[in-house]
Amino acid sequence: MNRGALFSGLLGHFLLTLQLNLRSKQALIYGYLVPIFFLLAFGSVFRADTPPLLAEMGQILTISILGGACFGLPTALVAERERGVWRRYRLLPVPTLYLVISTLVARLLIVGSAVVLQILLAHFIYRTPFPVHPGQLVAAFLPVAFAFMGLGLVVAALADDVPAVQALGQCFFLPMILIGGVGVPLVALPGWTQRLAGFMPGRYAVDALQRCFTDPLGLNQAGFSLLALGVIGAAASVVGAKLFRWDTGRRTTRTTGLWLLLAVLSWIAVGAAAAFTGRLQPVVSDATSFDTITAAQMDAITYEDLPGDNELVTRLSPPFSRSADPRRFDEFVAKLTAWPPAQTGEAGQKVRNLLSVAAIADIAADLHEAEIGRAVFDELQERVARDQLRRILTWIILFPDAGNVITTAPELGLKRHPPENIVRERSVLYAKKYLGRLLGKIHD
Amino acid sequence: MVAPPTASLSVRELTKRYHAIDAVRGVSFAVAPGEIFGLLGPNGAGKTTIIESVLGLRQSDSGSIFLNGIDAQAQPVQARRAVGAQLQFAALQDKITPRQALKCFAAFYPESTPAEKLLAQFSLTEKADVTFDSLSGGQKQRLFLALALVNQPRLLILDEPTAGLDPQSRRELHGLIRQLKSDGRSVLLSTHSLDEAHQLCDRIGILHTGRLIATGTPDELISRSSTKPRLTFRVAQPLDAAVVGALPAVTARQPHHGGWMISTSDVNRTISGLVQTMAENGNELIDLQIHRPSLEDVFLELTGRDWTHSPSTDPVRD
Repeated sequence: MNRGALFSGLLGHFLLTLQLNLRSKQALIYGYLVPIFFLLAFGSVFRADTPPLLAEMGQILTISILGGACFGLPTALVAERERGVWRRYRLLPVPTLYLVISTLVARLLIVGSAVVLQILLAHFIYRTPFPVHPGQLVAAFLPVAFAFMGLGLVVAALADDVPAVQALGQCFFLPMILIGGVGVPLVALPGWTQRLAGFMPGRYAVDALQRCFTDPLGLNQAGFSLLALGVIGAAASVVGAKLFRWDTGRRTTRTTGLWLLLAVLSWIAVGAAAAFTGRLQPVVSDATSFDTITAAQMDAITYEDLPGDNELVTRLSPPFSRSADPRRFDEFVAKLTAWPPAQTGEAGQKVRNLLSVAAIADIAADLHEAEIGRAVFDELQERVARDQLRRILTWIILFPDAGNVITTAPELGLKRHPPENIVRERSVLYAKKYLGRLLGKIHD
Repeated sequence: MVAPPTASLSVRELTKRYHAIDAVRGVSFAVAPGEIFGLLGPNGAGKTTIIESVLGLRQSDSGSIFLNGIDAQAQPVQARRAVGAQLQFAALQDKITPRQALKCFAAFYPESTPAEKLLAQFSLTEKADVTFDSLSGGQKQRLFLALALVNQPRLLILDEPTAGLDPQSRRELHGLIRQLKSDGRSVLLSTHSLDEAHQLCDRIGILHTGRLIATGTPDELISRSSTKPRLTFRVAQPLDAAVVGALPAVTARQPHHGGWMISTSDVNRTISGLVQTMAENGNELIDLQIHRPSLEDVFLELTGRDWTHSPSTDPVRD
């Protein structure tokens, strides 16, 4: 068909969809009021945090996107289908899929505006900091919205009427809110629920969005989450488009179940991949975990299994003050001091990030691995109070699979990308070497 | 497949089944340029199924459809570009305005009629910026008709355009449809209203249980009917059945609302005889009506069923 007419038609439809959305009370309620309600609800619970709500922004934004995609999108589509609007659209000289895409793009903008509104409201009401990576937040928003709008398309295809949208939408919304790590944080969920959440896109959405607010590395460590969202979104979009019904007279067919199976399989595949790659380890709250470490737990740590400081692994140089040329390593120390992951406000994560540096250098057999180990120890002592550092190191030793680790740091000259499990293992060994020294159990 | 060269719309041997039910059975017809062709049938006869098959909204089981020479089944998008349509079961969003709707739909076509012109043509200028849900039924139908014209089509397909409208709105819409014809457009019109078909259509195809049972101009169809003209009359003093039966050219008689209804093979002779009998007996003729055969009679004769009690065949709609 005529490309100019096609483009102008779809642009007109896109703009009309936006305008009609702003005139619809239902759309305004789902699109903006419900997200604001959730923001205020979270605010009432977490306003005492420092900084307030920062650690929950991933969850809050995920709820907004999920609501807009699982309720707002299918409600609009099904309501228009019930009225016969899509029957009228079918008479246009354009494939229906193009109009569906135009509707999705409009919805993307609507949901995006709700997200921006929430960030602004959180900032002005609760003084929540803006994301540290605003550009990456846009990059994270797109796959999150893609995944959830795909689900919205599936809901629209299955629901015969608007009340059915509410029922089906809740089938996605409630599990993700309650046990998917979206409404209730993963750390507050039992282990089996945390693992189950690994099969739902909500967990990956929260992870990707939250990193843009608080992780100095931004999305660098969110590759799996973004991939998971992409896989789930692609499967749902294909199924939603295939099953899309423009007419109420068209009912689901015998093959509908098979197509739905494809969408479900994508969730299972993502969860299985996460489990296989060790991403479904128990998530423990940093704040509560190392704060509750007791002296007895600290004393129970043994050091007999540690390799020597000059052996093949976990080498550690003597203190720089005793070095023949203490200034020859200043350049690295300066880089480490300025390294963003060492600046993060959360002490437990800061320690894990710095331990990762020593571990990566060790695994990579860096020429200065021993000095890097020492520099990390010095940096830890410089940045974290001694008592807190002891408890954090103990916690890392006792719970080696908790939290996140960094697996590459090219900005520090550590370009190797070793497997995460080995980084964790070496981090524990360094943690023991440092803890032993802090407790006077290892002579430095 | 090659289309008939002159037809705006050509439908050949169209069939459509819904599970075990034949909704449309081998229907063939053509709409000539500048012609209003009516698909006439009671609810459930298959009108909407035919129209939706023509428009590509339904997949027919067999048969061919050509719109302005374009094979509508092989090239549905191209075919849709050449036709304007108003559907019986379609609406717009509650909060869209007529101006927005016309502009949005027009944008999909390389050549379109300006919204302002259509708004004026269909007397919607004053309502151009009010929302769809505040329009009256007649205004909504006028808007749908305007939407059908945004792409300047030579062929219009209108599915029950006056259904649910009050008499005033219906008359207005009839005027607009006649105007479309005088503009040189072809119109395929479905209706279950005998009067509407008779008043608007150049030719009519009568549908019954998915079959096209007769095609022709309204007058042709009626002239083919064997139904006799009827007279109904009332007189001041009761008339015996024998007297009524003895009137010239009377072929049947029955009491009717205190008077008589008679069938006649010669209206003039029967009326002359009736007047003469009244004068001879000192009686007085109070009321006399002539009923010529109608499309309803044609339908009754063709199907053996009363128009208003014809069964539904389409399990989905129509």
